[in-house]
Amino acid sequence: MIIEISHFLSVLATGLFLLVGYFSILTPSSNSSYISNLIVRTYSHGFFFLLSSFFIYVWLAITDNFSVQYIANHSNTELPIFYKISSIWSAHEGSMFLWIVFLSLWGFLFNIRVKNSEVLKPKTMGVISFILVGFLIFLLATSNPFVTILPIPPLNGADINPVLQDPALAIHPPTLYLGYVGFVIPFASAIAFLLYGDSKINWEALVKTWSVSAWVFLTVGITLGSWWAYYELGWGGYWFWDPVENVALMPWLAATAFIHSLGVSIKSSQLRIWTILLSILVFSLSLFGAFIVRSGIIDSVHAFANDPDRGLYLLGFIGLIVFTSVFLFILRLSRIQSLSRIKKFSKQSFISINNILFGALIFSVMLGVTYPLIYEFLFDQKISVGAPFYNAIFIPIVVLAAIFLFFSVDSKWSRSINFKFISAPISFSILFSLAFTLFVMQYFESQNISILASIFAGSLIIFRYIYEIINFIFSKKFINPFSVIAHMSLGLLLISISFNSLLSTERALSIDLNSTEAYKDLKISFKDIGVENNANYDSIKATFLVEDQTGRTFNLKPEKRRYFTRGQITTETAIHITFLRDIYITIGDQLDDGSWIVNIQINYLIRWIWLSALLMGLAGVILVFSNRVKT
Amino acid sequence: MNPIRKKRIYSILFVLLFSVSGISLILYSLNSNLDYFFTPTELKDRNIPADKRIKVGGMVLSGSVERISSSIFFVITDYENSIKVEYEGIVPDLFKEDSGVVVLGNLRDKILYAEEVLAKHDENYMPPNIEINDDN
Amino acid sequence: MNLLLKLIVFIVPTTFLLLFFMILTNEDTYPGADYDQFLIPEFELKVLDNTITVNNDLLNGDYVLNVWASWCITCIIEHPYLTSLSKNGIPVIGLNYKDEQEDAIIWLKKYGNPYQTILHDYKGNLALDLGVTGAPETFLISDGKVIAHYQGEVNDQIWNDVFLPIIKDRKMF
Repeated sequence: MIIEISHFLSVLATGLFLLVGYFSILTPSSNSSYISNLIVRTYSHGFFFLLSSFFIYVWLAITDNFSVQYIANHSNTELPIFYKISSIWSAHEGSMFLWIVFLSLWGFLFNIRVKNSEVLKPKTMGVISFILVGFLIFLLATSNPFVTILPIPPLNGADINPVLQDPALAIHPPTLYLGYVGFVIPFASAIAFLLYGDSKINWEALVKTWSVSAWVFLTVGITLGSWWAYYELGWGGYWFWDPVENVALMPWLAATAFIHSLGVSIKSSQLRIWTILLSILVFSLSLFGAFIVRSGIIDSVHAFANDPDRGLYLLGFIGLIVFTSVFLFILRLSRIQSLSRIKKFSKQSFISINNILFGALIFSVMLGVTYPLIYEFLFDQKISVGAPFYNAIFIPIVVLAAIFLFFSVDSKWSRSINFKFISAPISFSILFSLAFTLFVMQYFESQNISILASIFAGSLIIFRYIYEIINFIFSKKFINPFSVIAHMSLGLLLISISFNSLLSTERALSIDLNSTEAYKDLKISFKDIGVENNANYDSIKATFLVEDQTGRTFNLKPEKRRYFTRGQITTETAIHITFLRDIYITIGDQLDDGSWIVNIQINYLIRWIWLSALLMGLAGVILVFSNRVKT
Repeated sequence: MNPIRKKRIYSILFVLLFSVSGISLILYSLNSNLDYFFTPTELKDRNIPADKRIKVGGMVLSGSVERISSSIFFVITDYENSIKVEYEGIVPDLFKEDSGVVVLGNLRDKILYAEEVLAKHDENYMPPNIEINDDN
Repeated sequence: MNLLLKLIVFIVPTTFLLLFFMILTNEDTYPGADYDQFLIPEFELKVLDNTITVNNDLLNGDYVLNVWASWCITCIIEHPYLTSLSKNGIPVIGLNYKDEQEDAIIWLKKYGNPYQTILHDYKGNLALDLGVTGAPETFLISDGKVIAHYQGEVNDQIWNDVFLPIIKDRKMF
């Protein structure tokens, strides 16, 4: 019964959003204060109806209401409350619901924080509302989470996949969704700007804080996902070029380019065409991600169970959004072009070049994701695109972009600058980076050009900004903390990734009980193995005593679990974390001679990779808060 | 031709040339890094260079699995042709004789040196298109 | 220059959208459906009430094999459709997958039994050989050979799109 109320509230919200869209875009007088007040109020009501609908749904999940088919399928009476709630976004219908609620939440925050006098506000709300209506219809018509099982609901619910019972998994999809849908704000404002067609309106300044906030969520969400795959899925690395990782990476790359371009447009009203195109691209790529994951077109860990109608509906709706934007863009192109040309070696010129490089990266990832589909469709031959392709593209382009970034630190807005290579900061950084790279080359006996180039590029950035910080401390030269932290984290990221691939090693050993094997500087003693019985699984648990070269010892206890209900086997890795490296052990099968196979990975600086990504996010948080203080 | 027009044509040509060469570079590296998917029969008459990564799918031949220390040797078959595989490391939980497997690796002297072994039901598993003739 | 930009902005998304449209509407990629044909691997399983042991030779002819379990919620949703198939004279055989015997029997009492025979695959061995990844999954079998396989809930639409064309083609049942 209660589920019908929840269902009804969602339908009601759809109707209200439709009204908002109609009044703000299709009526000519949407700028009268009466109409714009109406729009603001109606949107808020729609949002509260949708939010109540969602909270009722959460409450039904907490109270184990298994007459709701979706809850019965994805939750269980035995689960702790935390996982009962997170089970809502563990599959297609519920996660789509959450996605839409988040979308409306961003719209609501925009609605209450932006003044009614802002000329773009009504149309922006209208665009957001139309997008909401499209997705709500998608939810209600093709993936309704409110369907019930009658007359006999199951008693205990389903046995949910143990891999999914994990705190990082419970929070990483919502964080990612907040990032994806957050870009609706810049997108909708850009469309509102194009609808007005008045180039004097500065829509870019309006959306800066919003865009950076969404970017922060996207950055943190991707990092959490990477960390989860590392320790829970037992993939043992930080990035696998899995299609679903790639569809999150594309909007991130586009968003990063967008934020840079946005900065230029606000400062000098140049690159406006780029900024508008990028705002459309970021949101389209976010929607494309939803399409890839939800249409069942790609096999992946994350892909949801599927139904061809869903894919077609989503494709149609995304097509509608993209074509409307492109049409508007083409129509208004001549009005928004800026007449002033970008000067050579100005800050704008570097950002434009990096925009192009980011475009090339996005195009490559897009190709990597779609090419297997195209190839199979055309030639009926299965292929896959793996890490070698992405490495071949990403390493040179990222190194190049890092070098442009390095030179851009010295450049000025709207002014050409003559680079003196003997100027103190530049020569200082090049010298130190070169020395550092040569040291790495000698000390680790590495000839790998890609790794050395990345280390060089990473250290260039770091040394250059260290110089800036020193300058700030001693001569109070202004620095922008956001830019310094974000770019230094990029440098740190490049260096961590390079060292990770330079130093990390992996080895499978066969080892007898009570014996000791040596691997690198580690002595691994196999102390114990036994079967443990738990409530819903049996596990084989091994104990290893590991000693490193400093004589420190620690225990590692990898497990192999067999869950009763579905007979699913999962491998639980054991990880020892130190400042510089992770020691990562998984246990395999027993051999005929009684020994066990054990896989040992030594992952250098892997935590530093996530740390640098989180620092990038932190930089965004600083920007958002410093902006709020100013306004 | 007036100079402004000339300049414009040059800049268009430059953009075109630049993007065409960029895109062809990307496509070239895509083409040289594709992992093709074969069954042992499809592999039989093909000459595959040792530095080319391929994926081979089929069934693990029963009685062929042999472990020596931390290495594992087995044979993939599609019941017509077979290929030997060598792998060092832990095979997935669902790896077993007479069940589906996909191996990613390099082929040298008719032995597939595996980088990665995926068992059926693995998330990344791609089912091989094996057709079994019922007349034999 | 503007014209070039306009063209690019229009052509790039159009290409991608058309491509995805073609892939989505391509019949071969009906998600979850698989038409690879193969012989059922050798097996020996007890039926659910433990009375007899069944192997390949005992199961001949044309039938639908449905993989289910009492822990599977979608099986409850699929259940009425299977019952209607069974009533319309289509032989449905159950493969009880990784399930406790008692739980399965209680489930059948509660919802009804649409199956002619039920094999009890406690360890999931036969299911693994058939390429089952979960429940429910449904196979169309003719003379000991799998001719179609669908992963997920079978309903009217799936039956008509995935199975019925083959059944008509081969004049089964």
